[in-house]
Amino acid sequence: METKAAFLAAAGALTLLGVTFALSPLLQPATAAASQHSTNIVSTAASHGMEGEAKRGHSLFDHNCAHCHGDDARGDEGPSLYDLRKTDARITKIIKEGIKGEMPRFGTKLNDADIQALIAYLRTLKN
Amino acid sequence: MSNALWAKMHGGTTHFPIALIMASALFDMAGLFFPDNPDKTRRSSFQAAGFYTIILGTLGALGAVGSGLVMSKGQLLGQGNLARHHAFLWPAFGLLVSLTIWRMVVRDRASARAFKIYLAGSMLTAVLMSAAGYWGGELLLNG
Repeated sequence: METKAAFLAAAGALTLLGVTFALSPLLQPATAAASQHSTNIVSTAASHGMEGEAKRGHSLFDHNCAHCHGDDARGDEGPSLYDLRKTDARITKIIKEGIKGEMPRFGTKLNDADIQALIAYLRTLKN
Repeated sequence: MSNALWAKMHGGTTHFPIALIMASALFDMAGLFFPDNPDKTRRSSFQAAGFYTIILGTLGALGAVGSGLVMSKGQLLGQGNLARHHAFLWPAFGLLVSLTIWRMVVRDRASARAFKIYLAGSMLTAVLMSAAGYWGGELLLNG
């Protein structure tokens, strides 16, 4: 009884984890489910003349910033990042150190090259 | 639905599994080690509390995992603190689901030895879930 229940429990947990892992790519921007989104990224990149660094910045943005600033960077919980008037140094400082009570610090997660790539992407966001 | 809303849902739901798996382990431990009262209701009451709290914790975990995956755009591991969060989360989630299924099947018919193994598993899950919660908090503060 207990052994059968243990096998059932292991099978149930593995199935649930398997389903979760199998479905997760559908949520990723670069997969079939998000292919439209990816197409939009490419076309947006093309229309903005995005260079390689900015494209990398866009990818970093998707995984680190879009939760708060919105998928299109036009603002959600955090503000819109279009037409930023801050200097690169100021943006770097904000990304690295965050804003107390408003935005987390990314200084330990993103290196200088990542932040430069992010800034390159942010500079393409113009109304 | 906006990302911010998913983030809030994750923040709201994620505390249930952390708290409830700890509570479940504590109730079960109390049921195991506290002396029973003369009418034999204390132990079964603790174990019933442990049973229902682990089920509620698992339901909370399903909500937390779902909202977390949507929020992180399907990242199963990620980098930095997100990777650390996931490194503890997935084993904890797998263990939690398996322990819950086992408990639901066996109910109160488990042998003393099997129940002690279950209890060790639920304590390990509580530790792993707390570690996942810690790195989730770090993610919130330090990105």
